[in-house]
Amino acid sequence: MTDSSSTTSLSSDWKKIAGPLGAFTILAFAIPALLSGNRYLAFVAGITLIHIVWTSGMNLLYGYTGLMPLMFAGIAGISAYFAVDLTASGWSFWVALPVGALAASIAGTILGLPSLRLKGFYFTLCSLVIQTVITLGFVYFANLTNGDTGISQIPLPAAPGSGTISAPAFDLILAAAAVIGVVVLIAITRSALGKRLIAIREDDELAEMLGINVTRYKMTAFFIGSLFAGVGGALYAPYIGFISPRSFDVLISMNIWLMVAFGGRGTIWGPVAGAVILVPLSFLLQEYYTVKDVIYGLLIIAVIVLMPGGIASGLKRTTRATEPVAAGAAEQRGAK
Amino acid sequence: MSNANWILFLSTLSTGLILGSIFSLVAAGVTIVYGSIWMPNAANGQFFLLAALFGWTLTVSWGIHPAIAAILVIGVSVPLSYLLEVLLIKRFYDVPNRNISYFVLSLGITQILAGVFSLTYGQWSDQFQLPPLITGITFIGPFPIANNRLAVLALAIAILAGLFLLLRFHRYGRALRAVFQNRDAAALRGVNVKASYSMSFALGNAVIFAGGILFALAYSFDLTVAWTMAITAFAIMIIGGPGSVLGAVVIGMVFGFTQAIVSVVASPTIAAFSYLGAMLVILLFKPSGLFAK
Amino acid sequence: MDSYWKTLAVTATASATLLAAANISAAQDKPPVKIGFVTELTGPWSFFGTSCVAGLKFGEEQINSPGKRKIEFVITDNQTSPAQSVAASRSLDVQDKVLALSGPTSSDTGLAVYGYAEQNKVPFVVPVAAFPQLTKPGSRYTFRLEPNAAGWGYAIAKFVEKQKPGGKIAMIYSDYALMRAITAGLKYQAPLSKLQIVADIAFPQGSNDATVQAAQVLAAQPDYVVVIGAGGFDNTITNQLLDIGIKPQQLIHPFGITTQVMNWGKRSVGSYYGTFFDSNLDSLTPEGKTFVKDFIAKYGRPPSYGENFCFVTAHVIREALDKNPEAADDREKFRDAMSKLKTKETTSDIPIEFDKNGARKEYIYFMQMTDVEAKSYKAKQAFYAEWDPEVIPVYTLVK
Repeated sequence: MTDSSSTTSLSSDWKKIAGPLGAFTILAFAIPALLSGNRYLAFVAGITLIHIVWTSGMNLLYGYTGLMPLMFAGIAGISAYFAVDLTASGWSFWVALPVGALAASIAGTILGLPSLRLKGFYFTLCSLVIQTVITLGFVYFANLTNGDTGISQIPLPAAPGSGTISAPAFDLILAAAAVIGVVVLIAITRSALGKRLIAIREDDELAEMLGINVTRYKMTAFFIGSLFAGVGGALYAPYIGFISPRSFDVLISMNIWLMVAFGGRGTIWGPVAGAVILVPLSFLLQEYYTVKDVIYGLLIIAVIVLMPGGIASGLKRTTRATEPVAAGAAEQRGAK
Repeated sequence: MSNANWILFLSTLSTGLILGSIFSLVAAGVTIVYGSIWMPNAANGQFFLLAALFGWTLTVSWGIHPAIAAILVIGVSVPLSYLLEVLLIKRFYDVPNRNISYFVLSLGITQILAGVFSLTYGQWSDQFQLPPLITGITFIGPFPIANNRLAVLALAIAILAGLFLLLRFHRYGRALRAVFQNRDAAALRGVNVKASYSMSFALGNAVIFAGGILFALAYSFDLTVAWTMAITAFAIMIIGGPGSVLGAVVIGMVFGFTQAIVSVVASPTIAAFSYLGAMLVILLFKPSGLFAK
Repeated sequence: MDSYWKTLAVTATASATLLAAANISAAQDKPPVKIGFVTELTGPWSFFGTSCVAGLKFGEEQINSPGKRKIEFVITDNQTSPAQSVAASRSLDVQDKVLALSGPTSSDTGLAVYGYAEQNKVPFVVPVAAFPQLTKPGSRYTFRLEPNAAGWGYAIAKFVEKQKPGGKIAMIYSDYALMRAITAGLKYQAPLSKLQIVADIAFPQGSNDATVQAAQVLAAQPDYVVVIGAGGFDNTITNQLLDIGIKPQQLIHPFGITTQVMNWGKRSVGSYYGTFFDSNLDSLTPEGKTFVKDFIAKYGRPPSYGENFCFVTAHVIREALDKNPEAADDREKFRDAMSKLKTKETTSDIPIEFDKNGARKEYIYFMQMTDVEAKSYKAKQAFYAEWDPEVIPVYTLVK
C-alpha cells in the first residue's frame, strides 16, 4: 500500500507504482478500443472512466485529506452546466472544458470553506446540506440550467477539422482523462503537498502545531479535488448527451464517495477498483432490476462488515494478517 | 385583524406546530442514536417511511382503526431495532471511527429498503393516504381546522413531552444522558454503557417511527418523502447539536415555522433556500450546534 | 363476357388469397420486430412505468394475432434516471437492434431518450410524457400520443371561460417541469380568454404542508383553483383546500389518474379533472370497454389514461407496420410510416395523426367526479376540447 508511512525514496516509490500504472494505462485505452464494435459496452466503459476521474478527486479529499464532501456531484454539475452553456453559445468545447472545470474548482474551494471550522463528520453533514442547496439551485435558475427538465441533445465536441469527433475517439479522450487523473493523484501523494495533506488527515491540530498552514492546504485540496470533479462533469455532459439536476444530485455524490470507501480510501488503486466494480454493476444488473437495489445494498453491508477499510485493505489483510483493521482513519476527534 | 388575516395567522401557527413537532420527533430520534452510539443513520428517512407504509397496510389493507395501527407501528419498531442491533449494529461498538462505518452501513440499509419499497408499495400506488383518526372540522375563530390535524398535533406534542420526562426523570433516561455527555465518566460511575446503547438505539428508532406514523396520519405521502425527511432530520440535528434532544426539538420547531412563515412573505422555494442558508451560517459560527453541551 | 369477368374475379381472388397466404407464411417466418421499451420499473416513478407496461401487455397480446409478423416489446428499466435511460436506449439500439424506442412515462427520462433517438436516428414513439419539447420544431424521429402539457393549460382556460366568463383562477402547484409547463399554457391563454389569475403559488420539491397556501388561495377569492401537486402531496393540497373552505366544485386537477381520483375520495365529489381517457367515458368503443373490464379484472382498479396510451401504442405500431410491411426492417421507412399514419385510438375512436414535429392533434376531457367507492369511482364528462398543438406558442412558452 502506498501510504503516509512510506519512508522510501521517491524514485523507488515510482518504480513500485510504474507496473500497476502501466497496466492501468494500457487497459484504460485498450478496453474502449476493443469494445468499440459494441457501442453499448464501450459506453459502460466510458462511464466507468469518467467515474475513475471522479473517484480520484474524491480520494484526494476523502482518502488523503480526511474531508468527506458529499457535494462532489454538485460541483461536477456546475462544471457540466458551464461547459454546456458556453459550448451552446458558440465556444469551442475544448475551451469551455477548462473554463467549466475552473469554475467548479473555485466553487468547490468556496463551498469547502466550512471544512476549516467543521471537523470530521460535521463537515460531511454540512456538505450534504450544501449539495441539497446546489440541487435546488440547478432547479431554480432555470434560465441557465433549463430547470429539472434538463438539457438534451448535447452534441459530442467538435473535431479539430470539422464536424463532431466520433464516439470511439471520445472514449480515448476519457481514457486519457482517467489516466491523467490517476497520475496527478499519484504525483500529489508522492509530493510534499501530499505528505502535508496526510498529516492534516491524521490530526489537523497537530499538523498546525508542526507549522503546516492547514487552511491553505485544505483549500488547495479542495481546489484540486474540485478540478477532478469539474473535468469529469464537463466530459460527462456530451458523453451522455443529457444533463439535469438529477444527474448531479446527492445520490450521485454518495455513490462516488461509496466507490472510494468501498475500494479503500487513501490508496491509489482501491477507489479505481471501486469504480470499476460498482459502475458497471448497475448496468450489468439491468436484467435483474427487481433485486438490483437489494443486491447493491447487501454488497455495501458485506464490505463494511467484512472489510471495513474497503477492498484494498481487505486484500491487504489477507496477505498481512497482523495489520490492524481500522488504521488510517482519524475521524474520532470530530465525532466528539 | 380581518378574517382573512386571522385565517392566515392561525394556518401559519398550525402548520408550524404540526410540521415542527413531526420534524422534532424524527430529529430527536436521529440525535439520540447519534449522540449515544455515533451512528449517523442515513436510513432514518426509510425507517420513517417504513412506519408510514406499515400504517397504511394496517389501516387501508387490513381495516384496523388508525389509533390502534399507530400503537402497533410504534410497538413493532422495538423488535425490529433489536434485530438490527444484534445482526449489524453491535459489531461496530468497539471500532474507533465507527461513525463512518455506520454511515456506510446505513446507506446500505437505505438501498435495500428503497429497493423493497419500490418493488412492493411502489407498484401498488403513487400515493398513500390513511383514514383520519377523527373526522370533522373545528372552527377556531374564522379558521377551520380538521379535527384529525388537531389530534395528530396533540399526539406529537404528548410524545415529545413523554420523551422529555423519560430522559430527565427516569433511571434509563439519566443513564442515557450521562453517556451522551461523557461515556468514560458514565462508565466509571457504574452506567452499563453497552446496555444504554441498545436502549438508545431502540428508543431513537421508536421516536422516528412515531414521527412516521403521525406524518402519515396528517398528510398524504409517497415514496420520495424518505429522502426529504432524512436530509431535514440531519440538518436539524447539526444545527441543534448532535446528541442534544432539546436542540432537535427547538430547531425542529424553527424549521416547521420557517417553512410556514417564509411562504407567506416570500415564495415556498425561497423558504427552502432560506432555512438551508441559515443552517450554513449557524454552522460556520457555532460548528458544534446551538445546543451542544 | 360475363364469364370472362367471373374468371378474372376468381383468378384475382385466388391470387390475392395465395399472395396473402404467402405473406402470412413469410410474416411468420421472419424474426419478430423488436421495439425497445425503456420505462420506469424502479425509482420514484416506478408506479407509472409498471402501470404503463400493464397496459402495453394487453395491447401486445391483441396485436400478435396468428398470421401477422410478431411484434416484441423489449422492456427495460431506466431506474427513473435520465442517464440510465440513455444507457438503456443505447443497449436496445446496439445490442437488441430494435426498430424503434418507446416507453418513458416521465418528462426527463423522455427527454433523455428523445435526445438519443434524434441524434442516432431511431424512431421514438412516446406514449405518456407531456413535455412540449419532445415535439419541438425540427424533431424528426419522435411521435407522441399524449397531448403536450402547455396545451392542457390552454384547455383549462377554455374550460373556465365556458363555465364562468371572466372567472378568477388560483394556481397552486409543485415546482416541477410538468407543472410549470401546464401553468405556462394557462397563464398565456388566461388573458386571451378574459380570465384573471389571482394567485400563483409554487411549492419547492419535497413540500409537505399546504395549509398556509390554502389560506392564501382562499383570501384571493378565486372562482376556480387549479391544483397540481406532485405524488402524495397533490392529495394533501386537495384535502387542505377543502378543509379551509374551498368547495369541491371550484377544484380543477389538470390530470386525474385512477389511484389519485380514488384517494381524493368522497369529499372531492363535484370537483373536475382533466384526462385523455376515462373508464366512465360515453364514447368508449367495444374494444375500449373490453380493455377497461380486463384491466379491472386483473389489477382491481380501472385503467388511467397512461395505461390507455401504452395500450394504444401497441396498436399504433401494429397499424403502421400492417400498412407498410417493408417498414418492419427499416427505421427510416418506419419513421415515414408513422408520419403518414392516420388512425384512431382503438379504445375511444379519437383520431391519431402526427404533424411535422410528431405532435398529434390534441384533445382533453374534463370530467366531474360524481361518486367514489373503495376500488372504483364514477365521473361524468363536463367538457371536451380539441386543438392544434400550436394553437398557443408552446415551444417558446416552455423552453
